[in-house]
Amino acid sequence: MRKLTTSLCAAGVLAMFSAAPAVADNHADQIALGKAVYMGKSRGNCISCHAIDDPDANLAGNQGPPTISMKARYPDKSKLRAQVWDASKNNPLTIMPPLGKHWILSEEEIDAVVEYIYQF
Amino acid sequence: MKIIKTLALGLTVAAATQMTHAADTGFDMQTVDPEADRIALQKYFKSRFPESDIADYVNGIYAVDAGSREQWEELEEFPPYEFDVEQGEELFNTAFANGKGYADCFENGGIGIRQNFPYWSKEEGTVKTLEQEINECRVNNGEEPLKWGKGAIAQISAYMAWTSRDKVFDIKIPADDERAKAAYLDGKKFFYAKRGQLNLSCANCHVQGSNIAIRADLPSPQLGHVTHFPVFRSKWGSLGTLHRRYSGCHKDSRSKPLKPQAEEFRNLEYFQSYMSNGLVANGPGSRK
Amino acid sequence: MKKGLIIAAALAMAPTLATAASFQEAFESNRAMHGNDHVFEWKGGKYHTNHEEEMEARVKATKANAADLLAKAKAKNAEVAKLGFEWKLTGGILKDAQKAIDEGDYQKALNLAAQAKYHARIGIQQYHYAQKNWHLSVPE
Repeated sequence: MRKLTTSLCAAGVLAMFSAAPAVADNHADQIALGKAVYMGKSRGNCISCHAIDDPDANLAGNQGPPTISMKARYPDKSKLRAQVWDASKNNPLTIMPPLGKHWILSEEEIDAVVEYIYQF
Repeated sequence: MKIIKTLALGLTVAAATQMTHAADTGFDMQTVDPEADRIALQKYFKSRFPESDIADYVNGIYAVDAGSREQWEELEEFPPYEFDVEQGEELFNTAFANGKGYADCFENGGIGIRQNFPYWSKEEGTVKTLEQEINECRVNNGEEPLKWGKGAIAQISAYMAWTSRDKVFDIKIPADDERAKAAYLDGKKFFYAKRGQLNLSCANCHVQGSNIAIRADLPSPQLGHVTHFPVFRSKWGSLGTLHRRYSGCHKDSRSKPLKPQAEEFRNLEYFQSYMSNGLVANGPGSRK
Repeated sequence: MKKGLIIAAALAMAPTLATAASFQEAFESNRAMHGNDHVFEWKGGKYHTNHEEEMEARVKATKANAADLLAKAKAKNAEVAKLGFEWKLTGGILKDAQKAIDEGDYQKALNLAAQAKYHARIGIQQYHYAQKNWHLSVPE
């Protein structure tokens, strides 16, 4: 429904008016962006707390559960998205930053990281 | 295999979080009870890390993580702060232009008193820290104040801590001044409140999250946090004061960091030092 | 349209939405699940998931409009700073917004000002939440 347009990474304000790029390229780009968000220290930095079975992931932390069996744990992908957007909704004491609610990541970056982790 | 192991650890975290669930007293001026807080914190860490002695918490993460302890003990054999203590001693004993010195500003000539800081000053109605009084000593004797975070002030503080090693922390909250209790409560609240864009409290990492990896780092337990300051941090490559560390931590939550010696930080130090009552002063220390 | 169909499906499959107590909760849960520019129903009305600041940035990209939103963002950030809960990056975002105005990129300035204003508003919320809930993580 929401076409990810990495070229429009700012606020996604224009996303609804823009034509969707070719689906396959778009998805590959999105996964690549999601991975960069997952690993990037000044982006999502998910790796600092969540182990993931990606050969490029090293020295993952374990403050949070590993990123594993995502499809089984979140049959509804939008629930997973909501968890990334604001984990404190379900657990007010959580150490996990509210990545969407506090606008740490853009909505496009959140979509991308959800797509990336949904593969694991 | 590795994943399964981490999953098990993840479950431990979940269990640990459960234990920190709310108490129903001690959160306002009527009910706050520093001694109950101190005992509860010790109890918490005792149940988290049953193998560790309370007295050992002055050694921070190395009290609870055997893996990194060995490396640290090797480091402490040739302590990286040795030069700073020597420099600090020299600075401490160098007279000001007016002929006076630091020894004239402190009780017992400034020797063996680290464990009494910070303290509540009834006259000034505020928490006073050791570094604050080092600078006041200078200014009162016509010298320029030193910068708060590192350098000479940390060295002088390190020397004073060195002369106080093994003295037991004994922070007092005078019962005859409600403002002292308010300052303690303020510090406690600062420690446990989530803040910054990352929505982190000090407690997120240093109570619930202590000794659980954030990338390759293991956050230290809050019990015993202040006893070894000032600290030589490998990450800094230099000696720094407690408030330098506070500013760094505050910034790590993506808060606009307060300046060293801000009232909030002094109150936080008051709270944290009270939590370390009964533990010995062992500064300066070395940490990763 | 495809978009409409998906919304309908999401609504059908998510009974929790129906029980959302307040508009704020419904808004947040929809934003969390679907991001911005999503339309949801709440008590018979249709609403979008955009933050008020994002809507404020959807004005004509002129110097005056950008300067106006930037001024509002600065005021909001001063408010949160007073409470001691200012976020680390907001000051820099405000500066970048000013720079964008100076360079004539008014849409960029509007977007940045909107983000800064949002950060400040949520920081204020965070402060009030902390006042009520800080005790929850104290060991007993």
